[in-house]
Amino acid sequence: MNAPTTSRTIAFAINGESVELEVEARRLLVHAIRDDLGLTGTHIGCDTGNCGACTVHLDGEPVKSCMLLAVQADGARIATVEGLAAEGELTPLQKAFNEHHALQCGYCTPGMLMSAAALLERNPTPTEDDVRYALQGNICRCTGYVNIVEAVVAVGGGENKA
Amino acid sequence: MLLREVGYARPSTVDEAIALLSEHDGARALAGGQTIVNVMKARAAATDVLVDLADLAELRTIGFSSDGLLEIGAMVTYTELIGSSEVEVARPILAEVAATIADVQVRNRGTVGGNVCVADPTNHLPPLFSALDATFTIRGGDGERTVSADEFFVGVYMTAVGEGELLMKVSVPPSSGEGDGFSGITIGKHGTYVVDAAANVSDESVRIAIGCVAAVPVRATAMEERLAGGDLSEDSVRAAVEGLGASLDPPSDVHGSADYRRHLAEVSAVRAVLQAAGRRKQVR
Amino acid sequence: MTTEPSNSLLQGQVSTTVETEEPPAKTLERGYIGQPILRREDKRLVQGLGTFFDDVRRHGMGYVHFVRSPYAHARILSIDVTKALELDGVYGTLTGDEVAIHTDPFFEMSVEPGGLIKDYALAVGRVRHMGEPVAAVCAATRELARDAADLVEVEYEPLPVLVDAVESLKDETVLHDEAGSNVVWSGVFDWGDVDQALAEADHVVKIERLHFHRFSSTPLECAGALVEYDKGTSEWTLHCNHQMPGVGAIWMAPALRTGIDKLRFVTQDIGGGFGNKVCLHPQYVVLCLMARKLGRPVQWTEWRTDQHTANAHGNERTFFDVEVAVLADGTMTGFKVRALDDCGAFPRYEPLGCIIWAQVAPGMYSWRNIRVDFTQVCTNKSPVSPNRGYSRMQHLWLTERIIDIVASELGLDPVEVRKKNYVKAEQMPYKTPNGCVYDSGDYAAALDIALDLIDSGSIEERRKEAAERGKLLGFGIGSTLDSGTNNFGQSTLLNPDLQFSGNNEAASVKLDIFGEVVVTLGTVPQGQGHETTAAQVVADILGCPPEQVNVRRGHDTWFNSHAGFSGTYASQFAFTGLGAVKGAAELVREDMVQLAAAVLQAPVEAIELADGFARIKDGPEEAALPFMALGAIVNANNAFLPPDFNPTLNHRYVCRPYFGMVDTEKKTGQLTLTYAIQIHAAVVEVDPETGVVEIVDYAAVDDCGVRINPMIVEGQVHGATTHAIGAALSEEFVYDEEGTLLTANFYDYHVPHALDMPPLKTGAMESPSPVAPLGAKGMGEGGGGGIHCIGAAIQDALKAAGNAIVYDSCNPPHRVWSMLQDPESTRANVSVESK
Repeated sequence: MNAPTTSRTIAFAINGESVELEVEARRLLVHAIRDDLGLTGTHIGCDTGNCGACTVHLDGEPVKSCMLLAVQADGARIATVEGLAAEGELTPLQKAFNEHHALQCGYCTPGMLMSAAALLERNPTPTEDDVRYALQGNICRCTGYVNIVEAVVAVGGGENKA
Repeated sequence: MLLREVGYARPSTVDEAIALLSEHDGARALAGGQTIVNVMKARAAATDVLVDLADLAELRTIGFSSDGLLEIGAMVTYTELIGSSEVEVARPILAEVAATIADVQVRNRGTVGGNVCVADPTNHLPPLFSALDATFTIRGGDGERTVSADEFFVGVYMTAVGEGELLMKVSVPPSSGEGDGFSGITIGKHGTYVVDAAANVSDESVRIAIGCVAAVPVRATAMEERLAGGDLSEDSVRAAVEGLGASLDPPSDVHGSADYRRHLAEVSAVRAVLQAAGRRKQVR
Repeated sequence: MTTEPSNSLLQGQVSTTVETEEPPAKTLERGYIGQPILRREDKRLVQGLGTFFDDVRRHGMGYVHFVRSPYAHARILSIDVTKALELDGVYGTLTGDEVAIHTDPFFEMSVEPGGLIKDYALAVGRVRHMGEPVAAVCAATRELARDAADLVEVEYEPLPVLVDAVESLKDETVLHDEAGSNVVWSGVFDWGDVDQALAEADHVVKIERLHFHRFSSTPLECAGALVEYDKGTSEWTLHCNHQMPGVGAIWMAPALRTGIDKLRFVTQDIGGGFGNKVCLHPQYVVLCLMARKLGRPVQWTEWRTDQHTANAHGNERTFFDVEVAVLADGTMTGFKVRALDDCGAFPRYEPLGCIIWAQVAPGMYSWRNIRVDFTQVCTNKSPVSPNRGYSRMQHLWLTERIIDIVASELGLDPVEVRKKNYVKAEQMPYKTPNGCVYDSGDYAAALDIALDLIDSGSIEERRKEAAERGKLLGFGIGSTLDSGTNNFGQSTLLNPDLQFSGNNEAASVKLDIFGEVVVTLGTVPQGQGHETTAAQVVADILGCPPEQVNVRRGHDTWFNSHAGFSGTYASQFAFTGLGAVKGAAELVREDMVQLAAAVLQAPVEAIELADGFARIKDGPEEAALPFMALGAIVNANNAFLPPDFNPTLNHRYVCRPYFGMVDTEKKTGQLTLTYAIQIHAAVVEVDPETGVVEIVDYAAVDDCGVRINPMIVEGQVHGATTHAIGAALSEEFVYDEEGTLLTANFYDYHVPHALDMPPLKTGAMESPSPVAPLGAKGMGEGGGGGIHCIGAAIQDALKAAGNAIVYDSCNPPHRVWSMLQDPESTRANVSVESK
């Protein structure tokens, strides 16, 4: 019987590596990733789950890590922005962000990349509308999304509306 | 942003979950967490124990009962709802509306059960299920019972699910040539609703439920009566809505006055009914 | 003249470069300057390897949480931290009483009575806005600090709340006893003779009230810092995201009773600033005190709700009794207005907003008679800070509303009336009635580009088609100025005793021992690509590829490459920031050329720097020194140089723009040096049943002079447009009567998401600035172009349905619906007296 505990040891895979953590039940996943594991690429931009700067993949799906408790990730497979580029070799998506000037301050960028990467896994040739829909949960205050959408469409080899 | 200390349990069966919910005062079910985690971050509600339903496979199914009811497990996520071929065949409006909830990250975690059990007046599914005449199966220590939408939605953040009980599934009657519609005004694209209306139109009846204007979804009964089994032309529907706004006592807030909401209720009701009527003809 | 952009990055977006007749006065030969060079900042940022302040850790650090006031206005009767201190893991607390003992109030810029306000780092005795920090708790974890904050017991005695500037003006409830009045500053600006203009006018158009609302740019990264105190040297290090550390230090050092050099500001990556990270000094002083008191590094992260509630709104300004003088042919000769600005609970950077607008006093128009009676008051709302477009945006909105309302009431075409009244290209440089000089620009030509992009010729046809679908279509223009490179002397027009004037920015450039070029900036970029653009400029001057130029990230006091006004704000990087880079690079270049000449035994004139070499022009291949050789000689192998020849290859340069003095009596002077422009045009469809506004077409045309990096410029235009769209349609900080902020999170304060964006077309022109070091004007604030044109478009759409007047800068569906329901009460606002 699973009696409730205020903390527990959890084990999960993050960017392909297995980790074990002792965490309080109240610890948000985003804080476990940033503070306990030192992976600070995932960011916090709000406190109500709107902005998406904290987006990671949980078992292959994009989720907001500020709306998950770390303990919920027990046994799961997590991917963060740090896991995209193996050995510093940027992915086509990351390169496209650079080529299309899809970032300015870079704070929303990890979340954007994770949402976009998830989209491209499911739909390798998204239209502009597909991309906007997939990025609806990621707020950017610098770019107006114009170049971000352009970059993701370009990765899929698609054409941007004028 | 930072939660109070909380106890966490992750049962493997529904019975274990119910036992935990019964044993611990103020224990809350953790479904998708897209509301409750936010509430706990704001320290707006205190719960000492969270019972994580993630491992309860029984609550994740979508299927048909023997009498053709579409049965949606409480832990079915919006994404699963959207991708379900059963839903597409039986009640596509559910997938359509779910596809406008927030964003893909929220939809990957948020659940049907969470949406209705939170019973926030601005949530998408309560007025929709109300219009579709859905029923809600609740299991507790004493066994299972099934209630109507009217009985399920009790007040703001309050449902018929009591302490130590769990919503098991929501069942929606099969559609046979019916048309469903949903319309409203949101704060930004795919944002929170300011006012919404759901409509279901069949040969026998018209059901219209208005959300965001009261503690629970409000059925526009006078409008339903005027339209039942009859003329669903635009003129007729616009005539039938008269008085709906005046019959409501909606809240006033930063997004709109009570009067504005009364007006939006009428506009949304008309649009939802016309949309439903239009689809019914298509099915035929 | 239209040319298709050559770079594929801009494909799909219409961009137009218009050649001016005269070549730019002071530009360099363009190699890398003018190219859309990809940003080097991206490499770390796309890998999540940026370093934002919350990413920095220190051993033994404590986390700080602020206890904040639940009341908008109250006396603090007592604070008891005992229970908080008893919680395991709590390191310590700080209250207002301690702050009042250990610090002096922050420097205030206003004259009396506003200048008498006492502003401390924590509330002392009284709270004046909801969310105001009252105490701070530090603990071993974030969660514990939060828990401990709940255990601090504060007793309050509520006081009457002021949430309306007009009410505040009555001084029935006074927020700051030391001042004795809620008025922070007031004064009359009077240029030309507006009474005469009104008397001679053929029409006088009167507008009773226009309201510019309260909102902000809400940068995605909130404020914060990790502060360390070195007991041995009494120095603090702040790993932070303050976007104007020079000014931050000026506030903090006297408050902490320490020298400016004892405060080391280190910024690395910053997640947006937009003026909302300028007034962080109160919280930072708390952190400094706690780091010293507790003997450990302390860290504070602002959460989103805190930022909305208690940090940095944009100025809210109401305009009363506007009177506009118009001649029969549509020429507008002047206007007068009474402006009431609401700066929230504490002025801080205010009352500068009371003068900054004067940089664009006539807007883009040539009227010569202007009177503005300006008053600023405190209320029980969040304090303001210089939000993107600071104070100019509010005033430019006024001028654009005037133009459109006059045009509408007199039956004039808004395009023609603008072209008639715009300052003309042939008048540039144009001296405005209050002594500012618009440096260059062709407003009419830019407007034409915008009209072309939006296909304005088809508007009536589109209006008919929309009407068939039951929608009201409207078209609006917003012309706006992005004034850049401030003269801080304008502050003396508010308070003659202030010792501020001019402006400055610093940078340093060095050539290192292995031939690396290293640049440090005084600016504090928050996404504007300063590392990339600085490298472009240095590469062109030193004759090497940009990849050979390393620009250090962020600002560090210990770089010693900053000056008193250092920071990134007020659209001035292209002038002062790059001016400093240019100056330093040129000094290094001079060293390099002299050194190469000495080594190669050639005259100085024969030396060129190119491709990473110093060589004899058209000389033999051997007569070339790689940069590394030069660096090695100076740093490690310099004995053979003659004693009187001492090239350092390491120079710091301060760019000091020249303004001349201001006239405090007439309130005139050159308040800013450059004027970039943006012309925005929008086509909207209004749903008359709901008031929902959809933008169906949008164009933004920018002219910021020479574009160092056109790609970055365009990105700024996108961003400024999006901020404006959000402000125009949904972003509003709304308070109830108790002073509760009703839009404290992103649910209720809706900012544009990807699906909210209209199709955005951009265009560009280059009218080089004759006064800027590189012909490049500062840009980026955007002046609220979208706010102006969307409001105008809504008014145009509503013409066919009651002809309401748009009186507010924010028009969410409920307000549009009200205008549709009751256009008359908005029209009652406006009257026309004609001869």
